[in-house]
Amino acid sequence: MAASSTVTAQAPARGLRAFLSKNTNIVTFVVLALALGALTGGRAFGLDSIQNLLIAESVRAFAALGVGMIIITRGIDLSIGYVVCLVASVSASFAQTPDYAAALYAGKDFVILVPIAAGLMTGALCGLVNGLLVAYGKLPAFIATLGTLSIARGLQLIYTKAAVVGSLKQPFKNISQGSLGPVPYLAIYVAFAAFVVWVLLRHTRRGTNFYAIGGNPVAARVSGINVERELVMVYLYAGVLYGIAGVLQAGRLGLANALTANGMELDAIAAVTVGGVSQTGGVGTMGGMIVGVLTLGIINYGMTYLGVDSYYQLLMKGVIIIVAVFMDMNKNARR
Amino acid sequence: MPNDTASGYVLEMLGISKSFPGVQALNDVTLKVRPGTVHALMGENGAGKSTLMKCLFGIYREDSGDIVLKGAKVKFHSAKDALVSGVSMIHQELLNVPDRSVRENVWLGREPMRSFGPLRFLDHRKMHEDTAALMKSLDMEIDPADRMGGLSISKQQACEIAKAVSYDASVVVMDEPSSSLTETETEHLFRIIRDLRSRGVAVIYISHKMSEIFQIADEVSVMRDGRMVGTYAASELDEDGLIRLMVGRDTTDRFPPVASVPGEVRLEVRGLTAANPRSFRDVSFDLRRGEILGIGGLVGAQRTELVEALFGLREVASGEILVDGGLVRVRSPRDAISHGLGLITEDRRGSGIFPLLSVTVNTSVASLGRYLGKARLLEHRRIESEAAKLNEALRTKTPSMGTQIQNLSGGNQQKVLVSRWLMTLPDILIMDEPTRGIDVGAKYEIYTIMAELARNGKSIIMVSSEMPELLGMSHRIMVLCAGRHTGTLEGKQATQENIMRLATQFV
Repeated sequence: MAASSTVTAQAPARGLRAFLSKNTNIVTFVVLALALGALTGGRAFGLDSIQNLLIAESVRAFAALGVGMIIITRGIDLSIGYVVCLVASVSASFAQTPDYAAALYAGKDFVILVPIAAGLMTGALCGLVNGLLVAYGKLPAFIATLGTLSIARGLQLIYTKAAVVGSLKQPFKNISQGSLGPVPYLAIYVAFAAFVVWVLLRHTRRGTNFYAIGGNPVAARVSGINVERELVMVYLYAGVLYGIAGVLQAGRLGLANALTANGMELDAIAAVTVGGVSQTGGVGTMGGMIVGVLTLGIINYGMTYLGVDSYYQLLMKGVIIIVAVFMDMNKNARR
Repeated sequence: MPNDTASGYVLEMLGISKSFPGVQALNDVTLKVRPGTVHALMGENGAGKSTLMKCLFGIYREDSGDIVLKGAKVKFHSAKDALVSGVSMIHQELLNVPDRSVRENVWLGREPMRSFGPLRFLDHRKMHEDTAALMKSLDMEIDPADRMGGLSISKQQACEIAKAVSYDASVVVMDEPSSSLTETETEHLFRIIRDLRSRGVAVIYISHKMSEIFQIADEVSVMRDGRMVGTYAASELDEDGLIRLMVGRDTTDRFPPVASVPGEVRLEVRGLTAANPRSFRDVSFDLRRGEILGIGGLVGAQRTELVEALFGLREVASGEILVDGGLVRVRSPRDAISHGLGLITEDRRGSGIFPLLSVTVNTSVASLGRYLGKARLLEHRRIESEAAKLNEALRTKTPSMGTQIQNLSGGNQQKVLVSRWLMTLPDILIMDEPTRGIDVGAKYEIYTIMAELARNGKSIIMVSSEMPELLGMSHRIMVLCAGRHTGTLEGKQATQENIMRLATQFV
């Protein structure tokens, strides 16, 4: 609006500096990457290494995109790890080689679509339950998803009888393990999912509604937004993303068991928080979520590369979440 | 212990001034209260009564002036601080712990303790006995072991008063204490107040209820526009005289001319009754094209509840709403918006703005459905240009359309909210306290916008607690009292005195 002298009294700061000061998450990522490069004399960034980083972080990225949207609506989801675990187990159970004697459905040969559909539906169902509990049951998201966490865990153990679901068919594993030239399939799926999330958040009415609900739920209602329906939808979308994560995780590892994806909620929440999705609600972007995943990924990868004990890595992750939230609270402190 | 100070006053607030950005809330206010009297503090909404009391209790820090208690200068930092010095407040909304017993509530924060070696434990027996003795001395029939939340409002209030007495209170402030009491309960409250008075306690009684004032008060102080009009013996006043003191001022030139001529009926409300029995009941009115209908009343008149019910935010038990002659059901704001209604709520921060979102989003959030293009994706360019055009027309001052709305002044935030509702193309705009908390210049601009909208055929319902605003901007003024529609004033009948009379009809 060039003519609006009242509306545009002063131009907002532009240029690289403004961009960087607004996107501290990208700066953090670049600084960490450079530091790791310098520490290892560039060896940490061979093609293999980058491929490994992408593969390792891809599954997590789906979870992060899901919970990132939920946090934008001022919610939270603690059930991710066991939901992904349940999905992976259900999906894997339909992808076992038919001649494998210990298979859950021994002797049955399902087409490749069955494990995929079963996984996605399991994820969607878990998300739907979370959404209904939060939106219509009016439970705090923290408690509702803590409940589904335990339910998913129980179901997984009941369904698999606490056994490993292994011996998966190669075509199923290829979905996760293949690559297009040097680019792993997983990275392509993530790119596609990220694009869809970007369109949703940036270019649809529902996306704007998510930000509005997170920014001020009462005002959102007054503005005619169906808050309950939108909340169900955000948890449902997240569930579908966890579904994808579970199917891919099963294929990537070639099995599923009770330990699959354990603690993934921590990784995902940490990643989006580092990526600038605020716990106050109403703040965050797809780009931020992905940058957050890569930042945590490079920290993990760097520490592994430098030979830091994995116990210390766990400790670091906790510290990073606390520091990121602390900085975020100061930045977005209201008033 | 009457007259225990040389001055003959137990509490003196001398020359208190307090300003907020753009508002002089208190201007050199002096209030002197004698021990053993009931001192009524009167004034319209916004006259400065609550601000004055907040200064007394240290919730606000006064810019200048002194507070003298029993001859000594004091400065309280919190309500607790004041309580310990013998000044306590009985709030309109009770501030107790409903799930704990009466005795625990009375002794909260200073529970009697019993030592057991190096350890200290609550002394439940002493707590119980002391509370029982206290209740007996006050002639209150309340079991100290009862759960606080299980008692009637009136008994809970009595507990608060007992607690004040237990702190050896010399001044007790009561803010609209009878607002949720029945007649018999109010009678009981008055007995307690008279008992306090006979013990030498000074009671500062804040109420809008004329009849009560003349029943219970010894002295009356009247505030208006942040100033003290004066202190009078209750015996030398009558109801009309008191109303004149409360409202007496002129209203010239603070409002633009409202030139529109109301046309046909757009909105008709018949016998609307809230699901909540304590809220409004049997309210009927109509609203015409190009009309500004003011809704006046005191705090607790249920004005906000009424308009929120019209907008689908509160449940309705019975009654009909007709838009352009057709019966409509409004069960959610979405329904209301689809029938051409818009609502600017009274609480801008709480239910209006999205503080961290941009001016554009704040403007367009309620109308996105009309800006969906291919594949139902948002047409950002059209949204941005329409939002900018509306804000430009209302002269919203913002660095850019992408600026977070929290960085704008109150007046400019309000203009963005008006833009939000104009973008939904409403026929009927409900504005609840449209100029609350914004400075004088911005107020005039909002008034101008309202007059302009009415001229363009929009209908406006304006809820306001400011008399001059009601009188200056409304074609008609509908007055509510305790949830009932007590009358609608028009033309020469629309005077401050008449509004006040209708607003206090049942109290």
